[in-house]
Amino acid sequence: MFRGEDRKRFMTLISNLPTATYVFLLFYIPLGILILISFTVPSKFRVIWEFTLENHIRVFTDPRFYTPILNTFLIVTAATLALIAIGFPIAYYLARVRPDLGLKIIFFLIIPVEVNYLIRIYAWRVILGENGLINSFLISLGLIDKPLTILFYSWVSVVIVLIHEWLPYVVIPFYVNLVGIPRDLYEAAMDLGANKLQVFRSITLPLVKPAILTVMFIVFIPSLGEFAIPALVGGQSGVMIGVLIDRYLTDFRLAMGAALSFFLLIVTLILSLIMIKIFGYESLYQR
Amino acid sequence: MSRDVVLRISGVSKRFGGIWALKNVNLDVYRGELLVLLGPSGSGKSTLLRIIAGLEVATEGSIYMEGEDITNLPPYKRDTSMVFQHLALFPHMTVYENVAYGLKIRGLPRDEIDRRVDEALELVRIRELGDRRVTKLSGGQQQRVAIARSLVLKPKVLLLDEPLGALDLKLRKELHIELKRLHEEVGNTWIFVTHDQEEALTLADRIGVMNQGRLIQVGDKWDVYEYPKTRFVAEFIGETNLFEVVVEEVLGDRAHGSWNGVRLAFRDGGFRRGEKIFLSVRPENLHISSSPPSGGDVNSLYGEVEVEVFRGSYVIYHIRLLNGELIHVTVLSKDANYDPGDKVYVYWTVDKAVALRE
Repeated sequence: MFRGEDRKRFMTLISNLPTATYVFLLFYIPLGILILISFTVPSKFRVIWEFTLENHIRVFTDPRFYTPILNTFLIVTAATLALIAIGFPIAYYLARVRPDLGLKIIFFLIIPVEVNYLIRIYAWRVILGENGLINSFLISLGLIDKPLTILFYSWVSVVIVLIHEWLPYVVIPFYVNLVGIPRDLYEAAMDLGANKLQVFRSITLPLVKPAILTVMFIVFIPSLGEFAIPALVGGQSGVMIGVLIDRYLTDFRLAMGAALSFFLLIVTLILSLIMIKIFGYESLYQR
Repeated sequence: MSRDVVLRISGVSKRFGGIWALKNVNLDVYRGELLVLLGPSGSGKSTLLRIIAGLEVATEGSIYMEGEDITNLPPYKRDTSMVFQHLALFPHMTVYENVAYGLKIRGLPRDEIDRRVDEALELVRIRELGDRRVTKLSGGQQQRVAIARSLVLKPKVLLLDEPLGALDLKLRKELHIELKRLHEEVGNTWIFVTHDQEEALTLADRIGVMNQGRLIQVGDKWDVYEYPKTRFVAEFIGETNLFEVVVEEVLGDRAHGSWNGVRLAFRDGGFRRGEKIFLSVRPENLHISSSPPSGGDVNSLYGEVEVEVFRGSYVIYHIRLLNGELIHVTVLSKDANYDPGDKVYVYWTVDKAVALRE
């Protein structure tokens, strides 16, 4: 039937068909529906198929959305910066110790991830709460009289829990990246006259760009849509877009929820493109 | 000729855990020479180079550069530069940026950097590659970038750690000639580490032979080849025939001994009767003839050609002697008129053999 190149092309097509169908049916169609709903007249419980931009305009004009949107970016940015600040030194250390020890420590970093996500968030409620571990400890030491409220139901607690949530996903890409940098590159730089700080700035930092990009893609961007953490430990100052979307959806006001989701989607796409622009496509697959 | 010592290595030892990688190495490196450190892997030659570069710290001993003690100076404060075994080019930089790296770190003005990088690239003949990413270059081109990156700093001592190891034989041979030219042109001091004796003989002015952490012999490459100090050196550099001889008598500067029943004459090296020594004779110093050699100060043995190995311009004969031992003789192809089975005399001038204690 087919020969040579044609046959090869045909086989490629056939072998990719199941994946393509799966992604199309379960991802693109629901996404399409969501986008369509976001352009319908707001109503409760049902969708009125009548085109309007009202919801999208409201995302930008309703002052009640400003704080959550701003919060989302501030919280996620703070968490990502803190994650890199904590995760990079850990990875740097792990990449320098004996390989077997490094991998063992990584194994221990991964174990907590096996615990259910919600259970971990509830655990943090116990630790950070008004009568939680930290407060009772500080009170028993006499350092404070009244429980610290900043730790709980605030943006601070969201940042803390986000850090805990994502730390392994920051350490591992940095570790893999750093282990892949041959040691003699640092030595060559020193030999050519660079002191330790200069070596770090001119060799280490540029060469961990792929890990930074990875962290942006698997930590920063997904966290923008986080709703369970702010809902459970965020309180008023920790409200994020995800919480709003969740409220609209559980309230069956689908159009507004969809519009907020659409906004988040567009922001995510734009941020991804900007990051790829900054770091370059090749840093995704090339060191 | 009194020579100017640029680098002095004085009693340097290095221990890694419980293992001594270097044991009391003493070495003077002269200004402008190309010194090759030759030894098998694990002999400590790379460790010595890394200590000179400052990448390792000596456990004992000192390093002096032009009389100044640099033993504890960090690598970035030393006037040495190293070409690494795996080159260690910076993958995120272009050829130009790699070569400019050391100059930029030193904060030189832009136009001077440009000029010197251009010069260095010109020197290794890759001027047209400046804008290319180093990851896109061939092995030979990367080699040149690595050398240019070090040479551009005009280091007092250039250190090369088996930089040609990853290249194929043909390219290596080309680069040997290129490196010789480069060394002549630049005129600074080079220390080149290799385990390849042919590479050492091609490149070196002087050779230092290392084994098991010790520097066994240093000298002009001709001397090291002709007059090895130990059995190890004789065997490691070039081919040789080694005869285990028991000293029987010493008369003046001549000694006689017995090699498996055959009496041989050799130069005395302060030997005692009954002492066991090794006699090393290079295959090209052995001669064959079908009639007994006439007169002269020679050792002559009788045997039968067993194998003939044709190597193009020369032939190696394996000759089985009457006492059962096998020796190798190299003969230029145009003079190689013997066949397996021929009975021949093998002889050598007494002074062409080296008697070794260890």
